[in-house]
Amino acid sequence: MIRVRDLNLRIGTFALRDLSLQVAQGDYFVLLGPTGSGKTLFIECLCGLLRPDAGTIEIDGRDVTHLAPRLRGIGYVPQHQGLFPHLSVEDNIAFPLRTRRLPRAEIKERVGPLVDLLGIGPLLRRWPAHLSGGERQKVALARALAPHPKLLLLDEPVSALDESSRERLCSELHRIHEELQITTLHVSHSVEEALSIGNRAGVLNAGEVVQTGSLTELLRRPASEFVARFFRTENIVPAAATPLPGGGSELSFAGHQLRVAGHHEGSVTFVIRAESLAIHPKGAAVSNGIEATLTRLSERGLYRRLEFRAGVPLVAFSTLPAETFRVGESYRVALPPEAIHVLPPDSLS
Amino acid sequence: MAGPRVTPFSVVTVAFVAVFLLLVLTLIITDISYTDAKSLREALTSREVLHALWLSVFTSLTSVAIIVVFAIPVGYALSRYRFPGHAVVEALVDLPIVLPPVVIGLSLLVFFSTPIGKWIETTWVEFVYSVQGIILCQFIVSASFGIRAAAAAFDSVDRRLENLALTLGCTRGQAFWRVALPMARNGIVAGAIVAWAHAVGLFGPLMIFAGTTRMKTEVLPTTVALELSIGRIEVALAVALVMLAAAAAALVLVHALAGARRWWPG
Repeated sequence: MIRVRDLNLRIGTFALRDLSLQVAQGDYFVLLGPTGSGKTLFIECLCGLLRPDAGTIEIDGRDVTHLAPRLRGIGYVPQHQGLFPHLSVEDNIAFPLRTRRLPRAEIKERVGPLVDLLGIGPLLRRWPAHLSGGERQKVALARALAPHPKLLLLDEPVSALDESSRERLCSELHRIHEELQITTLHVSHSVEEALSIGNRAGVLNAGEVVQTGSLTELLRRPASEFVARFFRTENIVPAAATPLPGGGSELSFAGHQLRVAGHHEGSVTFVIRAESLAIHPKGAAVSNGIEATLTRLSERGLYRRLEFRAGVPLVAFSTLPAETFRVGESYRVALPPEAIHVLPPDSLS
Repeated sequence: MAGPRVTPFSVVTVAFVAVFLLLVLTLIITDISYTDAKSLREALTSREVLHALWLSVFTSLTSVAIIVVFAIPVGYALSRYRFPGHAVVEALVDLPIVLPPVVIGLSLLVFFSTPIGKWIETTWVEFVYSVQGIILCQFIVSASFGIRAAAAAFDSVDRRLENLALTLGCTRGQAFWRVALPMARNGIVAGAIVAWAHAVGLFGPLMIFAGTTRMKTEVLPTTVALELSIGRIEVALAVALVMLAAAAAALVLVHALAGARRWWPG
């Protein structure tokens, strides 16, 4: 388990500010954030490669804030993989064990199962320079896992790979985590990557953790416009909210009225994901629907992306055939109340 | 199979290479043609020359060993750490490269005539006009080459790999021994060979500081000068050819190492 409290670190003009985060034992936690948000700095603080100006870091209940990296019980795979070019694959994997002066038989005993787990047996005699990106990642992962760390830190482990290798490695990471149940912190800028592996996630922006929770929560209930945009929620709409007598509230925008759960009042911003919108023929009797004109249709392979104008721009995804829709025509677009999320009033954009 | 494209530019540059090679080879051929087998035999069987050869090998290898011991930590510190006066230290390290070697010999002689120098000589080791003096002179004149090469070699080692080694169980010292040093090895060896080639050919400062006493402080470059001074130009050239062969072998090794840069593939 990792517990980070009020971590502060200033490097030049950039700073990690009062960063607090908790990852439960055995969790696969993905820390998301755009480039330059401080993800790598944070992970280097956890590793002990950077010393924070303030705050504490606990791993498995032990304060490691001032411990040397080698004493923290971590396995770290950096973004650049960091395989030692002067050592063969086998020697790279055995490196942390030889450093700890383990007997040769024990090294063999530990390396063998890892090699089998990752399926890198045929690579053992090869040199890092002769490996593909995916193979390098697997070797770096095996090396990080060899000393049986309590915590695995992965810094953008698949970002340098092509799409198919990325998907394959994500599945491998998921399988390995299932098997070893090792607490893992995976840093990434890719929402797809997070969705394909993690069970919990956090979002980092300009050195601050702006939201943590399950991936579904982050996706459906963003705490701010920044999180919504980061998760590529396209429908972010300003509206006026009025509480309804029987419970719930009414949102008014561009001459439309929508019902939404919860008590909301005054100027608000609501979000709804494009896949939650339902498209019906014009005039259809649907609840919480608004009239909208289709302005653009684009093919996205498994689905169609539909852009509407209803006083405000709205985007919907549909799996119906493209022929079903005609650009320029009006449709009834339903926004289910349970899919609408009103951003907290004090959320930062 | 497509070879390199011949262009007017490549012809001009290769012509310059040819002219330079011609100059060097002309000198070597002239040396070889001026001497004969008898002189070479005489040179290689002479007690004085053999002593000078042994002393050259002993002193140059000893000074290079000391240079390597210094070059590794100094080169590492210059490469990895930025401290106040870093640029000044770098300039001072490079100073012996640009300074005429004779000046270093003179400076050493002056230093050992000061009270501190005299104290070192009386209580520790005698340097002036001694074998130790040859080693000290070779060390000071040639160390910069070794240090500069070591610093460049450490510059080429990704610092992040050393940091990563810390997370894999290494102390800072282990990260140095297991990651930085092996990766910088070829550059350090190449620098040591250049330093050795420089040390073994040193003459001016040795003449001032260590003297040119036969069978005592005579090294091969001194032999060349001494043989010339008594008019035995063939023997001087024969000794010079021995030095030439040794220097050529060393430089071929340097270029092989510099070309490879690494002994691992990639």
